[in-house]
Amino acid sequence: MKYHTRYNLSLYVLLAPFLSGIVILVLIPAALSLALAFTSYDGLSAPGWRGLQNFRQIIDDDLFRRAVANSLVFLALTVPLRTVVTLGLALLLHRSRRGIGLYRAAVYIPTVIPGVAYALIWLWILNPIYGPLNLLLNATGLPAITWLVNPHTALPAIALTALFQLGEGFVVLLAGLQHIPDEYYDSAALDGAGQLALFRHITLPLVMPWLLLVIMRDLIASAQNTFTPALIMTGGGPYYATLFLPLFIYQTAFDRFRFGEGAALTTFLFLGVAALIAVTYRLLGGWGYDDSV
Amino acid sequence: MMTRSDRAMRQSLGFHLVAAGITLLFAAPLVWVLAASLRQPGAPPPARIAWLPDPPAWSNYAHIFELLPLGRYMANSLLLAAGAVPLTILIASWAGFAMAQLPARARYALLTLAVVVRMIPITALWLPRFLVIKELHLIDTFAALLVPAWMGSSPLFVLVFYWSFRRMPAALIESARLDGLGALAIWARVAMPLARPATVAVGVLTFVQYWSDFINPLLYLKSETRYTLSVGLRVLQQMDLTSWPLLMAGVVVMLIPVILLFVLAQRAFWIEDQIGGVHGN
Repeated sequence: MKYHTRYNLSLYVLLAPFLSGIVILVLIPAALSLALAFTSYDGLSAPGWRGLQNFRQIIDDDLFRRAVANSLVFLALTVPLRTVVTLGLALLLHRSRRGIGLYRAAVYIPTVIPGVAYALIWLWILNPIYGPLNLLLNATGLPAITWLVNPHTALPAIALTALFQLGEGFVVLLAGLQHIPDEYYDSAALDGAGQLALFRHITLPLVMPWLLLVIMRDLIASAQNTFTPALIMTGGGPYYATLFLPLFIYQTAFDRFRFGEGAALTTFLFLGVAALIAVTYRLLGGWGYDDSV
Repeated sequence: MMTRSDRAMRQSLGFHLVAAGITLLFAAPLVWVLAASLRQPGAPPPARIAWLPDPPAWSNYAHIFELLPLGRYMANSLLLAAGAVPLTILIASWAGFAMAQLPARARYALLTLAVVVRMIPITALWLPRFLVIKELHLIDTFAALLVPAWMGSSPLFVLVFYWSFRRMPAALIESARLDGLGALAIWARVAMPLARPATVAVGVLTFVQYWSDFINPLLYLKSETRYTLSVGLRVLQQMDLTSWPLLMAGVVVMLIPVILLFVLAQRAFWIEDQIGGVHGN
């Protein structure tokens, strides 16, 4: 056999574990989930065909509608805010200067905090009596808030906690900003462009492909990262105010053993996220310069 | 009138003030948690924010290890992460190396696959993956928790290795091939030694992923002897919600390894350091 062919073959051997893992852990489960969505299955007796019954039943379910609405409100609150904050932090911290390592580490560290620990920390911070946040509000003369106990503030409170774990997007945008050559700014500044014009006509369009990646990734992450905080901090309450789709799927499938309905819910979640990503791409994809620097 | 250097100095001062404020904002919760873990359990609610309690109740930390077999849970979490890190680095770097070396068409197909898989919400896979694990008779075993390492734990890690290998000078690999080295030998002797920052970053992120994993232990583990720290914290929470100092001590125990690891390895996270001043600053 020629060396070249043998080399390429051995590359595929190196690829084999990853590819087989994807098949067993992602592709087969995804196909299985789609198939189960049309059945009733409790994990014990064989699945029975139900056609579109699961989907019809789910759409009529008030709890499902509530979970979808909550999930969408959560996304609308967190994704734009997280994007703006991440971009702001990356703009502030992308040039190397003295002490920059410390500042970047401080921004990234909340991201490595384990989900359960993070939820418990915030459960305590937001505690109306023992928590430091209300003490801080009292000290500055602001009224105390009952945060997670109040159906009106519980969801925004969980959204607030999501604002500090943005290290992944931060690293991506730092890399994106560092790809913009300094000469672009220098020549634009010579032409008399102000700070705002530089941002509007150079930084934003050139960082846009990276930003789009961060936004799409954030949509997916935010659509599912509600599980641990909701389970630990509120259990979906009060009065279903923080019942999000992932928690609802978990309760349907693993508390009530309705795997068929759970699979149908999973299909909804999957299609919903795909639709959101498609819309985002349509809205923002054409933006920016197509300049591969 | 202000001189140029005056203005630069003021700008620099302004930058450091803003950046220090942000650092404080991001670090405050951690300092609060540490302080809270040292309060006397059962003390009345504080009237204002107390920084270091006087005297600090270090006994809280001993107490939580008596309440629950936290030592065993910790050992379980460590064992899991210790198994997952080498497996992930091996499988992800092999895949990343192959992707970087394959002809353009295969490369783009694989890149697309990795990005698409990365986009699938993991929530959508809980249920069917649970059924697959059940079929494989892996419920209530460590293997069930370790299974994601089979696909390199995350397509992101494969991509990180891919980017790292693509940035290497092609001539290096070319000369190794002219010497007749096989793919595995080039991966081991040429590519991996040059991908130290990527390996460190993937190693740290993998450790964090398995150390933090909550949903998999929640779904797959039944016996308490196999619980990991994240499930243990959930149990601690359910034991007594009003004993905040004990619960926060448990949180600190879980935080220390990941924060320590990140601080030690953080240079690998800033891509700028890896391309070594290609863009001036």
